[in-house]
Amino acid sequence: MPAHVVIAGCALAGLLLAGPAWAADPAGEGLFVANCSACHQRNGQGIPQAFPALAGDKLVQDDPKRIVAVLLNGRGGMPAFKTQLIDEQIAAVASYVRGAWGNHADPVPAGLVAAARTEAAAPVADRGLQAH
Amino acid sequence: MAEALPKPVPRLLSSPSRRQFLYRLGAIGGVGAVMAGLEAFGMSVASAQTAPPALTGSGAGKRVVIIGAGVGGMTAAYELSKLGYQCQIIEARSFAGGRCQTARAGFSLTELGGEAQHCTFDDGQYINHGPWRIPFNHQSTLHYTKEFGVPLEVMVNDNDASYVLFEGGSGPLAGQPVRKAQVAADMRGHTAELLAKAVRGNRLDVPLSAEDQEVFVSYLVREGYLSSRDLSYSGADGRGYDLWPGALTEPGPGRLSTPFPMADVLHSKAWRTLRSVAGFSQQRTMFQPVGGMDRIAAGFAAKVGHMIQYGTVVERIDQDDHGVDVAWVHAAGQRGTTKANYCVCTIPLSVLRHIEAALPDATKQAMSAVAYQPVGKIGLQMKRRFWEEDHFIFGGHVYTDNEDIGSLSLPSWDWQGAKGTVLGYYQFDAAAIKVSAMTPAERAEFATAFGQKVFPQYRENVEKSFSVAWHRVQYNMGGWAEWDEEGRRTAYPVLCQPAGRIYLAGEHLSYLTGWQAGAIESAWLQIAKLHHQASA
Ligand SMILES: Cc1cc2nc3c(=O)[nH]c(=O)nc-3n(C[C@H](O)[C@H](O)[C@H](O)COP(=O)(O)OP(=O)(O)OC[C@H]3O[C@@H](n4cnc5c(N)ncnc54)[C@H](O)[C@@H]3O)c2cc1C
Ligand code: HEC
Repeated sequence: MPAHVVIAGCALAGLLLAGPAWAADPAGEGLFVANCSACHQRNGQGIPQAFPALAGDKLVQDDPKRIVAVLLNGRGGMPAFKTQLIDEQIAAVASYVRGAWGNHADPVPAGLVAAARTEAAAPVADRGLQAH
Repeated sequence: MAEALPKPVPRLLSSPSRRQFLYRLGAIGGVGAVMAGLEAFGMSVASAQTAPPALTGSGAGKRVVIIGAGVGGMTAAYELSKLGYQCQIIEARSFAGGRCQTARAGFSLTELGGEAQHCTFDDGQYINHGPWRIPFNHQSTLHYTKEFGVPLEVMVNDNDASYVLFEGGSGPLAGQPVRKAQVAADMRGHTAELLAKAVRGNRLDVPLSAEDQEVFVSYLVREGYLSSRDLSYSGADGRGYDLWPGALTEPGPGRLSTPFPMADVLHSKAWRTLRSVAGFSQQRTMFQPVGGMDRIAAGFAAKVGHMIQYGTVVERIDQDDHGVDVAWVHAAGQRGTTKANYCVCTIPLSVLRHIEAALPDATKQAMSAVAYQPVGKIGLQMKRRFWEEDHFIFGGHVYTDNEDIGSLSLPSWDWQGAKGTVLGYYQFDAAAIKVSAMTPAERAEFATAFGQKVFPQYRENVEKSFSVAWHRVQYNMGGWAEWDEEGRRTAYPVLCQPAGRIYLAGEHLSYLTGWQAGAIESAWLQIAKLHHQASA
């Protein structure tokens, strides 16, 4: 399913050229705005009792495996992105979050995402033309 | 757990033609094939769920607190109170139904992090922004529509006359609205022609006798509307006319439309809308309640409404060997605790995760193994039904490869009425997240811009809109539970087990996630277990 192509095809192209510079990485920021800001808000402050703040968040700046696991598999109201974003995009958005709004943690290499996937980039379940 | 349940009667089996079919299947493949055949119809005795469990005994003198007045919670309350249990439902919202809701004038919704939306549709206009259809094989949902006398009407879930708009392909059809019947007729006709000619010309290595090959060709001729003379496809009346047939000599016989070349259809990718049959949950006959899906909620509420404590948010669930304590806060600020012998908790797992509950660690752990589906819908009230009046499309869906739209749907109610409300988009996953970051006004504009590509009359007719992004809706935090294989294997069975005196129920505890039938049937199975435990 070409969702990731539609959502961030150009962002990805940017990423490959830009290299792993965190905080100012425009690809990561674009991915965050499209895929995360509806819930965690543009400023990473979240919504109390609903969407956790990512600014200053412990998990976000902890061992990168943790944020990658949350992004791949989701958890409750946090959607799973494993079928929506490819490894480079997950690494880019995680790196952005780890360096934005005063967060200070190293960027996440795409290889770490690949290693964390329990299964190969699973295709989106074939939902057919209509679902639910 | 299964022994406490009655064996549902596989009703459809009584049809003689199906029985004959199964007998024949048995003759060829033995009992295993018969069972597999039954499974294919979804009718194995073990999986059929057509009526509530026939429970005997009494629950008199025992109290059950039910959390959530969605379809799942109200099912539990209704059936348990029939057995004599004293039930109380605690519901955060000010109305019954949970996700089973319909937006019409007076309905309001403020998404988490969003601006308040107040629906101002005209009288009689509505959008089912949550559940909207009931497949014929959801006998559990249909059990209650019948029991509560909720009138149904057919929902047009497939419409040959509707448009397909695929923008991602190439060639002359890309980006053009094309009637679905034309795509279907041409793709199948061209395919049948290729195949029939190959079989006739012995160019396929098929495991069919010469005799069977001829039967196969006959099938292809019928399926593809081929000429039996030269096996060519040159159109079919089902793909429509350039001039409709009529009276006298002009228009007289009319003028048939001309097929698109196979390459054009292939390159357009519009063939992606075609499949041999619709998936099991999308087949005809599809129903909807007359007047809006919330008529089902109203049907339940007429029976159990007096048990519901509205506007009351559960904050904490405790239990010990004797009972359950549910602590809540009312919208007015007042706090309290409801005590009961048992608890049926239907709070979505995305929400329950954040409530302090006396559940075993394994249960809490299991709750984090499922993520909820982001999903968005928008209703657009139209000044007139131009899709009917100008395009002769009555209900059904416009298909597109634009994932940010998903699909656009035309109402299956109030045919030929003055106005109508269109579903402007229905998207999932990253597309739903992206669109949900827009304001309601931006979403309406986004939906309008797409609709305009399909119908030139779209924009000038959009009057009012109402949108929802379920992943931003308080007390739901997602459209429905989206289990992956790993979660189904490890976490799901844990959650299905009663945790002391607490029974979890809701669509998330079913293989019918995202369907009301899942909520109802999980409640049926859990109350059977509860009654078993309470009667021990
Ligand atoms: C967009 C969309 C389309 C759908 N399409 C269809 C369809 O076509 N056909 C179909 O059959 N189904 C469809 N469904 C699925 C269907 O709506 C659900 O499966 C079903 O309504 C779920 O019922 P439930 O009782 O499990 O949960 P809910 O209806 O969510 O009930 C849970 C209740 O718990 C309450 N609650 C939550 N937290 C608390 C708290 N802390 N304290 C007290 N109360 C609380 C909530 O307010 C809610 O009323 C669709 C759903 C969506 C979102
Ligand atoms: C649909 C709303 C939604 C979207 C979109 C969303 N999240 Fe989340 N996110 C949540 C919720 C809700 C939680 C808390 C989940 C839980 O534990 O129940 C969460 C949790 C998290 C956590 C864990 C925080 C912690 O301390 O436990 C991280 C990290 C995170 N999100 C990052 C992201 C990123 C990055 C994106 C975009 C790629 C994103 N989220 C998109 C709703 C969302």
